[in-house]
Amino acid sequence: MALRMTMGNEAAAMGALAAGCDFFAGYPITPATEILEEMGRRLPARGGVFLQMEDELAAMAAVIGAAWGGARAMTATSGPGFSLMQEHIGYAALTQTPCVVVDAQRGGPSTGLPTLPAQGDVMQARFGAHGDRPAIVLTASSVWEAYAATRQAFALAERHRTPVVVLLDAVIAHMREPVEIFDLPPPGRAPWPGSRTTKPPFGRHPFAPFGGGRDPIVVTGLSHGEDGLPTTGSGQAAERILKDSITAIAHDPELASGVEGFYLDDARWAVVAYGITARAAQAAVESLRAAGVPVGLLKLHVLWPLPEAALIHLADRVDGILVAELNLGQLVMPIRAAVAGRTPVEFVGRADGLLLAPEEIGARLRTGSGSVVTEQGGRRDA
Amino acid sequence: MGAGPVRLTRIRLTGRGGQGIMLAGAILADAAMRDGRHVTETQEYGPEARLGATKAEVILSDAPIAFPEVGQADILVCLSRDGFLKYGGRIVPGGLRLVEETSVSEEALDRDLCRFPWRERARHLGLELTMNVMAIGTLQAVTGVVSEESLEAVIRERVKAAYVEANLTALREGERLGSGVRAPVVSPEGKRREGSRHGFNDLQ
Repeated sequence: MALRMTMGNEAAAMGALAAGCDFFAGYPITPATEILEEMGRRLPARGGVFLQMEDELAAMAAVIGAAWGGARAMTATSGPGFSLMQEHIGYAALTQTPCVVVDAQRGGPSTGLPTLPAQGDVMQARFGAHGDRPAIVLTASSVWEAYAATRQAFALAERHRTPVVVLLDAVIAHMREPVEIFDLPPPGRAPWPGSRTTKPPFGRHPFAPFGGGRDPIVVTGLSHGEDGLPTTGSGQAAERILKDSITAIAHDPELASGVEGFYLDDARWAVVAYGITARAAQAAVESLRAAGVPVGLLKLHVLWPLPEAALIHLADRVDGILVAELNLGQLVMPIRAAVAGRTPVEFVGRADGLLLAPEEIGARLRTGSGSVVTEQGGRRDA
Repeated sequence: MGAGPVRLTRIRLTGRGGQGIMLAGAILADAAMRDGRHVTETQEYGPEARLGATKAEVILSDAPIAFPEVGQADILVCLSRDGFLKYGGRIVPGGLRLVEETSVSEEALDRDLCRFPWRERARHLGLELTMNVMAIGTLQAVTGVVSEESLEAVIRERVKAAYVEANLTALREGERLGSGVRAPVVSPEGKRREGSRHGFNDLQ
């Protein structure tokens, strides 16, 4: 097995190329710049297009335009740029434009802690654009997962014809780990299956397909009906399109299964975590397990749609859940809503640029599980 | 973390922006991977375009590494005073500290530090920028946490062709500086003892 030390950002770029990405537009920002650099090095040589734009608004606009032309298009940014992109992310969602946005999160808001890690864009990735829209948000807690998530993002964007966000964090983005050398498909322009030449119009809704052909293409930021033309007066057709899209995403089995369990079989308490925090949680769980404390980890690969079924299943089996994230309480809110009182949901988080340490998570898990273990066997950890 | 003893070494490299701390961490991690170890390498720097304290952290293990951040390091390699002040503190009791001799102030000299004239030697050899690789050479000689062969292979592969020889010269000079050092190292129980040249691994 040929291994190569690879940076998370580099892996994300390779995942995009493996998915057939042939267009990248972006604006450099720490800690996402290496994605742009990698695409700048590799895309032109593969016959793709690389554009450094004047800012993030332009970058996202270019990505949308490229997708209309049939390209598999991506951009990458961090918090401040992600904020600027929200307008166009909403536009991509409404115009049913498949594309991928990687956000390597750093401390915010604003310029904030520009070089330090955070997981503060979790809600923005779902709700940052105004109005209702379908949303798919993936994440990664290793270099390999940064590759896999970005590759998967293109398939999901294509399937659901919507922008897909991949949330990294400053540590995963800049971390190097050995991974198997990635085999890239041969260069060449692989059109979206949704393009005119390969597929009939999209899904249930005969909205004008993208990607060439001689017929005029109608794209508008106005809500559209099933014919792709702007709706006037009643918005029922537009609402139906949104609802269908949201429902399709909610029922996509690939998204619903975007979780991974560690030591959950007999766990009394479980930590729910994602990204770099899942690594700390895993270390905490391994350490406590070695000491005989029955705790486990549910790691999330998909943040949105929230894997509710998996969370409810977990909540029905444990005495409590600890949500750990590098923010002051974001994903814990919809998790509490999903769990709906089945079990206590505790929270541990921080937003000072430091990581949650395994000891910090472990101490909270002990507090949670300690009393339970004491009742069972006289053990006192809390 | 898990059951049973696992050979695990946590190394923190620190210096100031521009000294090549990130590259040194990448070279060290890459060499360890070639040696067949599990390895993670993370990095941290400030918002400054240059200067400012920076660090790279490398964990080497015989088992998969869950958490890549180094809390208390077993080994500190320090190239600058600001790096020492910001990142020099979190070391296991009695941990090994290899520092550039000008990076510690007079008042710190009574501490148990292994000081090396990396900067002066690198200048003498004609390229101060190779100080980072020289420090890695010393780390290799004192601890044996990575193999000399892997370090050489990585430098040949990663460094621009025009600078390969200068960096290999710096690596060997660093190894020479470290070869006579009997470094105080720490056993898992925290007891200090004299380490042999390749003793550090055995103690983990």
